[in-house]
Amino acid sequence: MVIVIINETVDLQVRHEEIMETIVSLDMLKKGERFRINRVTHVREIGKKLADMGFTKGVEGLVVRFALLHDPIEIRILGYNVTIRRAEAAGINVEKISAVLPAVVTQKGKR
Amino acid sequence: MKEKCVIRVALAGNPNTGKTTVFNALTGARQKTGNYAGVTVEKREGKRSYGGVEFTICDLPGTYSLTAYSLDEVIARDFILEEKPDVIIDVLDATNIERNLYLFLQLQELGIPMVGALNIVDQAEAMGIKIDSRKLSTLLGVPLTRTVGTKGIGTDELLDAVIAASQKLIPPDRHIFYGSELESEIEQLTREISTDREFSAKYAPRWLAIKLLEKDANAQEKLIGCRNRELIEKKASASIRAIETHFGRDAEIVVSEQRYAYVHGIIAESVMRSSGNFSATSEWIDRILMNRILGLPLFLLTMWCIFQVTFKFGRYATNLLNIAFAFVTTLVSAAIPAGIIHSLLIDGIIGGLSGVLSFVPQIAILFLCISFLEDTGYMARAAFIMDKFLHLFGLHGQSFMPLMLGFGCSVPAIMASRTLKNPRDRIITILVTPFMTCGAKLVVLVFLAGIFFGKNEGTYVMIIYLIGVVLAFLSSLLLSKTVLRGELTPFVMELPPYRLPTARGIAWHVVDKTGRYLKKAGTVLLAASILIWAMVSFPKLPYEAAGINGHSRTQDELAYSVAGRLGKAIEPFVKPLGFDWKIGISAVTGFAAKEAVVSTLGVLYKVGSEEDQKTTSLKAALLADKTFNPLVAFVLMLFTLIVPPCIAALSIIRAEIGWKWLGFAVIYMLSLAWVLCFATYQVGRLAGWGI
Repeated sequence: MVIVIINETVDLQVRHEEIMETIVSLDMLKKGERFRINRVTHVREIGKKLADMGFTKGVEGLVVRFALLHDPIEIRILGYNVTIRRAEAAGINVEKISAVLPAVVTQKGKR
Repeated sequence: MKEKCVIRVALAGNPNTGKTTVFNALTGARQKTGNYAGVTVEKREGKRSYGGVEFTICDLPGTYSLTAYSLDEVIARDFILEEKPDVIIDVLDATNIERNLYLFLQLQELGIPMVGALNIVDQAEAMGIKIDSRKLSTLLGVPLTRTVGTKGIGTDELLDAVIAASQKLIPPDRHIFYGSELESEIEQLTREISTDREFSAKYAPRWLAIKLLEKDANAQEKLIGCRNRELIEKKASASIRAIETHFGRDAEIVVSEQRYAYVHGIIAESVMRSSGNFSATSEWIDRILMNRILGLPLFLLTMWCIFQVTFKFGRYATNLLNIAFAFVTTLVSAAIPAGIIHSLLIDGIIGGLSGVLSFVPQIAILFLCISFLEDTGYMARAAFIMDKFLHLFGLHGQSFMPLMLGFGCSVPAIMASRTLKNPRDRIITILVTPFMTCGAKLVVLVFLAGIFFGKNEGTYVMIIYLIGVVLAFLSSLLLSKTVLRGELTPFVMELPPYRLPTARGIAWHVVDKTGRYLKKAGTVLLAASILIWAMVSFPKLPYEAAGINGHSRTQDELAYSVAGRLGKAIEPFVKPLGFDWKIGISAVTGFAAKEAVVSTLGVLYKVGSEEDQKTTSLKAALLADKTFNPLVAFVLMLFTLIVPPCIAALSIIRAEIGWKWLGFAVIYMLSLAWVLCFATYQVGRLAGWGI
């Protein structure tokens, strides 16, 4: 992990700018990839549950691992680990970030 | 200042925050458990004397939020709204402070004085999370105490804070700022609700206003009691529209997001984090236990071990119990002369009691294992590993455990379904668990297969097992698409860091579960076995009428009894399945315990009474009987598999999900059994199988 930081701090700023444009759904991410939540498109129970558990705009997270058949997915957000099904992840729009930062919210993402 | 002698406290908090350990540390041994009115959610209450004050503490279900979607959340908030405790203690997990504060802010909106217990601070500090509790306390406007529940640290300070908070008559008017757009809508709604004084004294107007913006169905229901309901409803929908146009998102989500934004603001001011604050030990354990390839075999191995321990060790303990009961029986036999009282005592009461108690070792051992796995945090991981497969059939990842235990005995298996939080998932799991061939059904299967299938007995028993599994999965698919259809429930589940369970917590679980079984199912089970004894014993055949026509006495007596008449009465229904009245009686007594099918057949076809000759002679008698042939035997095996389980399992189904679902289960299983057995028998007869 530490080596990655040294390699990437140089073009961190540039990268951020680029990636801001590409929004993908969370289920498209690979193991170990980091993201910042853009929007949760689910409504009612699932949408509310995700929001209650901290899946809100601007929060950063990490894809920890997948189960055997790539479903469910384990995610780390707000300093804890949570599992969601692939179908639920498909309704969460995120932007990939490559910076190795602790999975906490940044002021930037806040409204 | 008003001096109170009793302070009623509600203990709230997220799951996995060590809330229970705080509860134990606060109350010691002075606890009792019950249910919340009308639901099977456990309610724990405890008492504590401290500083001249008597505290009654109610442990609310652990929740992440207070929405109307989850039963636990509705129970927690209704308790606070209806019972109006004097103080709420919110247990906050210091290692996970954001999500915990999110609940805290919602509790605060209910308008009851609050105290925060900042728990697991030792671990948080080890993980590099530094919380400025004085700053946090000022920002939240409530007193905060640091506690370590597992070591009982900080409980006195916590109770001091509770006393102080209860003496402030007016709760601090501190609440979050949702941003100017939302606040103006909240304010207008609050004003409207406040015009009905009586109503707003019951429900905090601001809380209700926010809940209405969140489209909370339960809050909308509460509004029925309000005088200017129509006006408020109209205003609420207008506000929701305004918010959704402004933010371009669902109002429900907007409220959550604003709340989290507020939490993030508080955290930024009061919490210092060094990077990588995550439990390294948990990470390592999960690399192995949650490995994509290794995870499944390790899980199955764990389950296999639990199964072995529960049913193997359980059997030793049950055998010891049986020896004790045999001893009591000899004592009673010696003391009381033969007759109805003798028979009632021995066959009815002692027989029933030993039936009830024979499950106790299994239940105790099983819940020792389950609560260990649950308290360490492995159960959530197990659900993660199994979910994909089970979800295909409308089940949940955590349904696996009860289903697998069903191969041992349905009673502990159905009790194990408590780990499922969602009522719908739980009901489906409980309804299909009896299709897993239990140990008692296996006795019947092996008995019949041994007589009629000779060398192939193993294959036929295996076929029945497989049919059971297939029926369980197909039934759950059917139920989840029909009777228990409903909106897809989220599988958003926390994977808490691994923690070492406390011996006390586990012991409490074991005692509580066993006690519950004895109280809830044991009484019904005992009553039922006395009833079945009466059905087999009455009415009495006159002495001179028995034992004629070459039948034995017991044979004639059984045929003459209520059970025997019932068997004859249902003969027309079981005839199309190839059964006669004798098999009908066996099916009736099979409700007491599945093994009874064999012993009843033994009585009905009785040739000799010597134990060792019984099987061979019974085998000869069954083979000689014209009703029986391999096809009928197979249909009877199938019938035994599908018909409603024994009384013990039925009474535990009632205890867990109520009479309504019990009735449904019985009707469903009876009709399924009849249809499948009818089809098998008729097709088999036409095809000439085994005749």
